[in-house]
Amino acid sequence: MRLGGPPRGPCSGPSPAGPWRGPGRVQICESPQSRPGRTRPASPGPAAPSGLPASPQSRRSASARRARPTTLPPFGSRLWCRRRPPSPEALGSAPCSPAPRSPAPPRGSLLPPPPATLWARRGGGAARGRAEAPGEVLPGQRAGKMAAPMELYCWSGGWGLPSVDLDSLAVLTYARFTGAPLKVHKITNPWQSPSGTLPALRTSHGEVISVPHKIITHLRKEKYNADYDLSARQGADTLAFMSLLEEKLLPVLIHTFWVDTKNYVEVTRKWYAEAIPFPLNFFLPGRMQRQFMERLQLLCGEHSPENEEELEKELYQEARECLTLLSQRLGSQKFFFGDAPASLDAFVFGYLALLLQAKLPSGKLQAHLRGLQNLCAYCTHILSLYFPWDGADVPLARQTPVGPETEEEPYRRRNQILSVLAGLAAMVGYALLSGIVSIQRATPARAPSTQSLSIAEEDEDE
Amino acid sequence: MSLVAEAFVSQIAAAEPWPENATLYQQLKGEQILLSDNAASLAVQAFLQMCNLPIKVVCRANAEYMSPSGKVPFIHVGNQVVSELGPIVQFVKAKGHSLSDGLDEVQKAEMKAYMELVNNMLLTAELYLQWCDEATVGEITHARYGSPYPWPLNHILAYQKQWEVKRKMKAIGWGNKTLDQVLEDVDQCCQALSQRLGTQPYFFNKQSDGDPDRNKTGRQILTPERPAPPRVSQAISLQMPHTPWSAACGTDEVLAIRK
Repeated sequence: MRLGGPPRGPCSGPSPAGPWRGPGRVQICESPQSRPGRTRPASPGPAAPSGLPASPQSRRSASARRARPTTLPPFGSRLWCRRRPPSPEALGSAPCSPAPRSPAPPRGSLLPPPPATLWARRGGGAARGRAEAPGEVLPGQRAGKMAAPMELYCWSGGWGLPSVDLDSLAVLTYARFTGAPLKVHKITNPWQSPSGTLPALRTSHGEVISVPHKIITHLRKEKYNADYDLSARQGADTLAFMSLLEEKLLPVLIHTFWVDTKNYVEVTRKWYAEAIPFPLNFFLPGRMQRQFMERLQLLCGEHSPENEEELEKELYQEARECLTLLSQRLGSQKFFFGDAPASLDAFVFGYLALLLQAKLPSGKLQAHLRGLQNLCAYCTHILSLYFPWDGADVPLARQTPVGPETEEEPYRRRNQILSVLAGLAAMVGYALLSGIVSIQRATPARAPSTQSLSIAEEDEDE
Repeated sequence: MSLVAEAFVSQIAAAEPWPENATLYQQLKGEQILLSDNAASLAVQAFLQMCNLPIKVVCRANAEYMSPSGKVPFIHVGNQVVSELGPIVQFVKAKGHSLSDGLDEVQKAEMKAYMELVNNMLLTAELYLQWCDEATVGEITHARYGSPYPWPLNHILAYQKQWEVKRKMKAIGWGNKTLDQVLEDVDQCCQALSQRLGTQPYFFNKQSDGDPDRNKTGRQILTPERPAPPRVSQAISLQMPHTPWSAACGTDEVLAIRK
């Protein structure tokens, strides 16, 4: 029997359900040296406060601190301990037990301050395992190693969302789910990020990762694992549904935001051109659009490319089916796998939130999505739970620009008509004055009138 | 298939029963066909067999060009030609044979998701192995792909196809992956499928539309007589622990052989 340690699902070899590695190309660390009792290895400690304010953390931990019924660790008191806030003396003793002490030693020695080490150990499901904001918890934990905090660079927020880019949004959401203490830099200039693209994660070792799946893998390695409590079958489902999302929804999202002319001009390009600093805003949105179009073409190029509209209809049809499938799979649950969010939720939220929140002039898929009530509720739930201030700020700002635009509408029409008339008058006047057109119809006009006069005279005579 | 064509085809399809002389076209088995195409062809054959519909397999060197969408395999039924597994499944459904009738909505969702998983991961991995791994390309793919054509056409076509596939890989983000990463992904995918299958004989406890698709690649990798690229033998060794799925693939193989 293993004392003191709940099984770290991914890192414990002989777990009954089989080592679950996580979705997609994400790889959980199976490093042999990661033993169950290890405190957080290189992740930033509370000494380096993350960019996240305290309130959502406490709210999240309060709401998300639920025992998952699926896997009950042998150390049952872990669940119980989780709900207890760390006692000061327990935490106080933690400084005496920095990282080097904890790995591998007999569990018995760690039993005296179990809550502290359990808190410190930040096992998987860290969203549930964590206490309040990083500043409050685990003050002494990082006493041994002062590593740099992890920094996440992502696109800044807009349209009521914390980020306007799909990948950035997914990574941010995952980080919120797991409570990873990241320093989030919301920037609008991709050239400022360490890797040249967004999102990008600079790890505590200085390494830069820019593929979203790899970022999530890294977070998992650092023990911020939202999939900890998933059974192997649920993990397999995660992989499958993420593939489904990528195959069916991603092309349509790209099409909606970057290829559809109306949307692109009025929403996407507008946002990016306003957000990106001078002089990049002149060519970056266009370049991004070209990249996305090429990607879309390569993704869907196998289907008949000759007819644009046909292709579009097909894509949207498949996307609608995909959304319906997601809705059916979600049912009336709060998250896809029960009561606590997993990595699949982060990705699905990313896709759906973008579709829902952005004000798209031609939003066919949006209309369909709005019809699926449970998905809308799901998005708003996550948004309100994990990103409360982001959602509140931006709609207010958004409403004011919309107002003046609609007011200008009647004036715009009137101005257009007036300008057309003025133009016509100017042209005619110039033509007359410069002799291009001269009025010489006076004589023939008079002729019929003289004729009529003469006829009238004749009549009179007669 | 476009929506209009789909509706049209299904209307016509519903009118006639399945003929006896339905044929499936693929590339030459011995010399030309590649791993991914062979897998697709096997999937269609397995599906049709699961539906108990007779089909004759005909090998042609120019099958790829005969196909309406450019992909093999395609079937010639009556006076219609349908290519790729997805449209074929719909076509067969229009004729009244369907394997997924007994599934509820959630299961159908899962089935679609798993089919996408196979397509997304395994098919892409196969393409990567065939066209982006230099050793395989040099030894097997170029030789096989260009075999029916005279010099210099065989080289030109092979390079052209390789360039196309490499572009696609880059677009979906696989361009920078190393072989080991690809094999890891394959392993994850196989594990996932294995977990999902558990100890059942089929994924949804009775045959469904998704089964052929998933079994095809497993069978493909496990069947030793197909010429497998050298690296795929690594993939085979990764497959060994996943016994439930390998067993399921074995069952289907037996079914298919016993025609």
